[in-house]
Amino acid sequence: MKRFYADGKSLFAYKMTAPTILILIVMTIYPIIFTVGYSFTDYNYLKGDKAFCGLSNYAALFSNAYFRQSVINTIVFTIIAVALEVLLGLLLALFVNGLGWGRKIVRTLILLPYLLPAVTVALIWRMMLSPNYGIVTQVFTAIGLPVYNWFYDVKTAFGSILLIDVWQNVPFAFLLVYAQLQTVPEDQYQAASIDGAGALQRFRHITLPNIGNGLALCAMLRTIDTFRLFEKVNILTGGGPANSTSTITQFMYTYGIKTMKFGFASACAIVMTILVLVLSGIYIKKAMK
Amino acid sequence: MKLKKIGSVVTCAVMAVSLAACGGDGNASESVQTGNVQTQTDEAQADSTQKEENTVGAGEEAGETVNMTLILRGGTYADVIKEALPEFEEAHNCKIEVLDMTFDDLHTGIALDAANEEGTYDLCMVDGSWMAEFTENNVLANLSAMGYSFDDDIIPNTTSICKVGEDIYLAPYFGNVTVMLYNKAAVEAAGYQPEDITTLSDMLAVAKKAQESGANGFAYRGDTGDNIVSDFLPILLAHGGWVVDDNNQPTVNTDEFKAAMNYYMELIGTGSAMSKDDVTAAVDNGSAALAIGWPGWYVPTEDSAAGYTVSPAMTEEGGTVYNTSEYGTWCIGIPSNSPHPDLALELLEYIMDPEVQLASIPNGGVPCRYSCLTNEEVLKDYPHLEVVCKALENGVYRPTIAEWTEFTNILGAEMGNIMAGTKSVDDGLNDAQAQLEALMQ
Repeated sequence: MKRFYADGKSLFAYKMTAPTILILIVMTIYPIIFTVGYSFTDYNYLKGDKAFCGLSNYAALFSNAYFRQSVINTIVFTIIAVALEVLLGLLLALFVNGLGWGRKIVRTLILLPYLLPAVTVALIWRMMLSPNYGIVTQVFTAIGLPVYNWFYDVKTAFGSILLIDVWQNVPFAFLLVYAQLQTVPEDQYQAASIDGAGALQRFRHITLPNIGNGLALCAMLRTIDTFRLFEKVNILTGGGPANSTSTITQFMYTYGIKTMKFGFASACAIVMTILVLVLSGIYIKKAMK
Repeated sequence: MKLKKIGSVVTCAVMAVSLAACGGDGNASESVQTGNVQTQTDEAQADSTQKEENTVGAGEEAGETVNMTLILRGGTYADVIKEALPEFEEAHNCKIEVLDMTFDDLHTGIALDAANEEGTYDLCMVDGSWMAEFTENNVLANLSAMGYSFDDDIIPNTTSICKVGEDIYLAPYFGNVTVMLYNKAAVEAAGYQPEDITTLSDMLAVAKKAQESGANGFAYRGDTGDNIVSDFLPILLAHGGWVVDDNNQPTVNTDEFKAAMNYYMELIGTGSAMSKDDVTAAVDNGSAALAIGWPGWYVPTEDSAAGYTVSPAMTEEGGTVYNTSEYGTWCIGIPSNSPHPDLALELLEYIMDPEVQLASIPNGGVPCRYSCLTNEEVLKDYPHLEVVCKALENGVYRPTIAEWTEFTNILGAEMGNIMAGTKSVDDGLNDAQAQLEALMQ
C-alpha cells in the first residue's frame, strides 16, 4: 500500500484505466465466464433447468456427425475465403494504387459491397441466382451456359456461398492493404529503380515486406469474421443441402438456439471460440514478430 | 498490490451479484407468469373502472395512447392482420407495432421473451406444432380464464390444437393446410384436369410429363429440416404412414415411411429444390407443374395461371383413402407476460370477429370460419376456399410434442441426406430412427 501511494503515477494510471477495465469485465469477460459455466449445464431456456451435467454437452457435440461436418465446413470455408479475399484485396489495392486518374471513384465503387448488411447481400444474391427470375440464370441461359440450382445442389451450394462472401468482403481486405500501401516509403522504390529492379522485384523486396504486417492483420480479422459466418448460410441454404453448407454458427442456431438448449449451444460457442483463437493465433504470432 | 486485491474482490462481488440477478431460476418466472394469469382472472371480475386501469401497462396512465406490440409470422399471415388494425387503434386509443418474423425467428422471439417478468409482446402468432412446448412452459396465457370462448362458426377441428383439456390457449386465425399447387396449363398438357389428380400415381404422371417438356415436374423446398418434413408429410399420409405412433415414439423407418420416401425420391427427381418464393413463382409461371404448398403462399383466382387442390389421398386408384391435409394453421394467443392483457384480449376478439375475418379474404386471408369459407359471394371470386374448407374440416395435426422442433431438425437433416443422394433411403431413415428414439427417451 505504501509503495502504491508512494507511486502517484501508478495510482493515476489505475484510476484512468479502471472504467475501461470495468466495462471490459462486464461486457466481455463476464459473458465468456457465464457461457463457460452454462456449457457445463443442461440449461434449457424455456424450462429454466440448469443442472450441472459435466462434460456431457461437449461429449454430445463431438459425437455429433453434423457438428463435425460443420467444423470441417467452417474451417475449409474460412481458409479458402480468407485466402481469396486477401489475395484479391491485394491485387485490387495494387491496381488502384497504380491508377493515375479516377482513383477516388474506383476506390469508392470497390467499397460498395462491404457497406451492405449481410442479410441484404444474401437476399440480393438469392434474387440474382433465382431459377425463375434471376438475372444470372437468364444470362447463362441466353449464352448457352449450363444453369445450376445454385443453393440446393450439393455440388454448387458451398461454392455459391463462398463466392458471395468473397464478393462482399474483398473490399475490406482492399481497404486495409490500400492504406498499408500508402505507408511504403517512395524513396525505396526510387532507389530500387536506380538499381535496375523490375516491377516484380520491387513488389517482392519492397512492397511485400512493408505491408506484411498489414496482410497478417487483414487475414486475422477476416478469419475471425468468417468463422462467425451465419446470415448468408441461414438465409440462402439453412445449412443444406445434406449439411454441405452448415457452419458452426448455423449448427449452434439449429440445434442449440432454436431448441432453446442454451447449455448445448454454450458448449458449441466455447469450442468455436477456441478454434478461432487457434487459427487467428497463427496470424497474431506472425504480426508480433 | 493491496489495491489490486481490493480491485479483484470488488470485481468478483460485481460478477457474483450480476450472476445472481440474471440467473433467476425458472420457478421465479413461472410464479410471475402464473401470477399474471391470476391477475387476468381477477381483472375479468373487476368493475369497468378497474378494468380500464388494468388495460394500460406499467408506466402508462389511463387516457394515454397505449403502445402495443404484436409478433407475427411475416407475409400474408401478418399483412391481413395489419389491414384490420387501424380501426381497432382508433377505437381503443392505441398504437400497434407489428413485428414480421420468419418461422424460426417467430418461435425464438416468443420463447426468449417468455422469461421476462413483463413481456414485450401483447399478442403473438403461434404455429400449432409449438403448442405443447409453449403450454408446458407457461408461455401462453389461459384464454378461457380471461373469458374467451369459441363460437360455433369456427371449424371445430381447427380448435383442438388450441386447447389443453378444456382450457383455450390459442385461437385459430389463418386456415393454413397443405394443398397441392398446380399450374393449370401444365396439368392440361399432361392430359389431366386438376380434379382428376386423385392418386400419387396421377401426380407423378403429371410431373413426368412436365419434365419431358423441359419444365420442372415437381418443385419443393430443400433448405431447413422443418420445410423438408412439412412438404413430405402429405405424401407420407397418403401411404398410411406417420412420424410417431400413439405413444409419440418415432416411426420413421417403417415400411410405409420407406415406401413414401422412395416415391418422394422419384417425384423430386422430376424437378428441383427451391426457396418458398421460387416454388410459388415456378408454379405460377409454368416452369414447374406441381408443388406442395400452403394457401397463404398464393391467392388463386379464375384467371390465375395456377391453382390448388387437396393433395392426393391414396397411392393408386382403388387404394386406401387417407386424410392427407396437414394442418399448419396459424393461431393467435396472448403471452402470459403480456403488458396489456385485457386490451390484447379485446384485440384478439376483434381479429377473430367474423366480419373482420370476412374482410381479410380479398387481402389473402383464409379464416377458419364456415361463415367466411362457405359464403356464396366470397366463393364467386375465390372458389379455391371451398377446397380449403374441406381440408380444414379433416386436417391432420403434426404431433403435439414439446420436442417437435428437435424432431424436425433430426428428421429433416436425414431426409436431406437422402434427397441429396449422400445416404440411401434405408440408411438415412434408420439413422433418423435411432436419433429420434434417443431424443424421445
